[in-house]
Amino acid sequence: MEKTNGVIFERNSFGKRIKTMLKVDFRRMFTMRLVYIMAGICFVMPVLILVMTTMMDGGVSVNPQTGVETAMEGFDNVWQAIGSISGENSGMSMSLTSMCNINMLYFIAAVLICIFVADDFRSGYAKNLFTVRSKRSDYVISKTLVGFTGGVLMLIAYFIGTMLGGMIAGLPFDLGTLTIGNILMCMAAKIFLMLVFVALFVMMSIIGKQKLWLSVLGSLVSSMLLYTMIPMLTPLNSTITNVMMCLIGGVVFSVGMGAISNTILKKTNLV
Amino acid sequence: MNAIEIRGLTKNFGSKQAVNGLEMTVPMGAIYGFIGENGSGKSTTEKIICGLLVPSGGRVKLFDRNYTDTDVRAKVGVLIEAPGCFSNYSVYNNLMLQAANLNIENPEKEVVKVLKMVRMEGAASNKYKNCSLGMKQRIGIAMALLGNPSLLVLDEPINGLDADGMRIMREVLMEITKTGKCTVVIASHILGELEKIATHYGIIRGGRMIKEMTAEELNASCRTYVALQTRDMNRSKMLLGSKYSRVEEDEAGYLRVYDATTPEGIVTYLYENGILVGEIKTDKIGLEEYYIDLMHEKEGR
Repeated sequence: MEKTNGVIFERNSFGKRIKTMLKVDFRRMFTMRLVYIMAGICFVMPVLILVMTTMMDGGVSVNPQTGVETAMEGFDNVWQAIGSISGENSGMSMSLTSMCNINMLYFIAAVLICIFVADDFRSGYAKNLFTVRSKRSDYVISKTLVGFTGGVLMLIAYFIGTMLGGMIAGLPFDLGTLTIGNILMCMAAKIFLMLVFVALFVMMSIIGKQKLWLSVLGSLVSSMLLYTMIPMLTPLNSTITNVMMCLIGGVVFSVGMGAISNTILKKTNLV
Repeated sequence: MNAIEIRGLTKNFGSKQAVNGLEMTVPMGAIYGFIGENGSGKSTTEKIICGLLVPSGGRVKLFDRNYTDTDVRAKVGVLIEAPGCFSNYSVYNNLMLQAANLNIENPEKEVVKVLKMVRMEGAASNKYKNCSLGMKQRIGIAMALLGNPSLLVLDEPINGLDADGMRIMREVLMEITKTGKCTVVIASHILGELEKIATHYGIIRGGRMIKEMTAEELNASCRTYVALQTRDMNRSKMLLGSKYSRVEEDEAGYLRVYDATTPEGIVTYLYENGILVGEIKTDKIGLEEYYIDLMHEKEGR
């Protein structure tokens, strides 16, 4: 504490600042109805996908004009809804099973994070916040960590939904050559990879500020480039190497993106 | 020590220069009325002081420190345009969020205290979106008062307030500046209301400070005049116009004679010319008229 001509200046440590910022952001995130709606969607989505694709599996539809037959292929295994074994499906494959899996959640997380950050600017809350806090880095760190938690919550909801959907659809839980360790490593790698996406979404949201459409559009387009890497980095047969790669990549990427976000906040007008 | 010291401040938005070499000095404990036309750069300056806009040039100091200093920022309360509140949160929860941002030790007590100050304790549980415009302005003031700020920056705080709301606002501002520990900068177009509380004034035009003065200096430079009504206003105006240099008819229907020292000479002069004076009084031009005169002077009218 320092007193200058009757004005008392309180010095807050980084730890104290970030603690209060996180407290506020966590409170905000988990009082948002949208988080629960999105977590609910993430839970229900795999149930619907697994049940419907199993029902349609083997069905053949014929185009009456061309006479071309299209065979509907469902999931062979519950774990296909989580990911694919490396080399089995490339990220560019457009088959239903390679598209309708847990990796879609990175796009849903984009919407959540963009709304969360844009709300700060649209409501004017950012005005109050940045008037009393000059450290933009606190804001970026807090949003990244809270956004990451939201993203992880959705991944877990999807994972649980997949298990339930598999049971309802009667799909085999057969691990084959995989072990339960591989599945857990795959999930851990996906969780750490979320950090890369969240850092990107936070940066896009900071660029867009109150323009939600710009944040969402920027996030979706930029994450498209990273999307193709997800099956390669987090295959079903993930090992500790995949987990470490995603963890290190996640930390490095979020620090880099965070630094860019921080610079954007410092150098641009906030209102 | 000055609460705010701005030297050569500039701010450009593309090719438009919103603030152009602004110089501003706000002493500690002052209630500083920041006046100017729409688009003169008042809000831009206030936003720069609050760290919301990045200046293109110049220097801004708050309490003799750089305005971006973390310790200094925590001493600033703000209400610019509208209070930054989440519409689906209650008034209380919105204030609690800001209290948490300020690291206030006993936030519940502090929130209740500021709500009482703006007479909003009864509406604490109301959702922000259900509050009226006047209530929202008062919530904004309460939010700005959280954490005992040493500097309050307010932009049009009395907009949308009823007579009672204005009185409350006046009382709150007088109360917090009483000890001299809090400085207030108010940008407002409601000059009559500003005149009741301001101790200092700054008049800005085209992004430049054209006049800075204390309330005493304003009083001294506000000319006195004699206002009168007669049955024959046109002839009275003509007669007085030939004797005094500036005679004007105001909106209330009075003839204003600016360089007359006493009413007696006017009454006698008109009587001698066969005109009876119905009503006569001496008065002083207020802030509003002073401001308008100054603007006309600058425009060369």
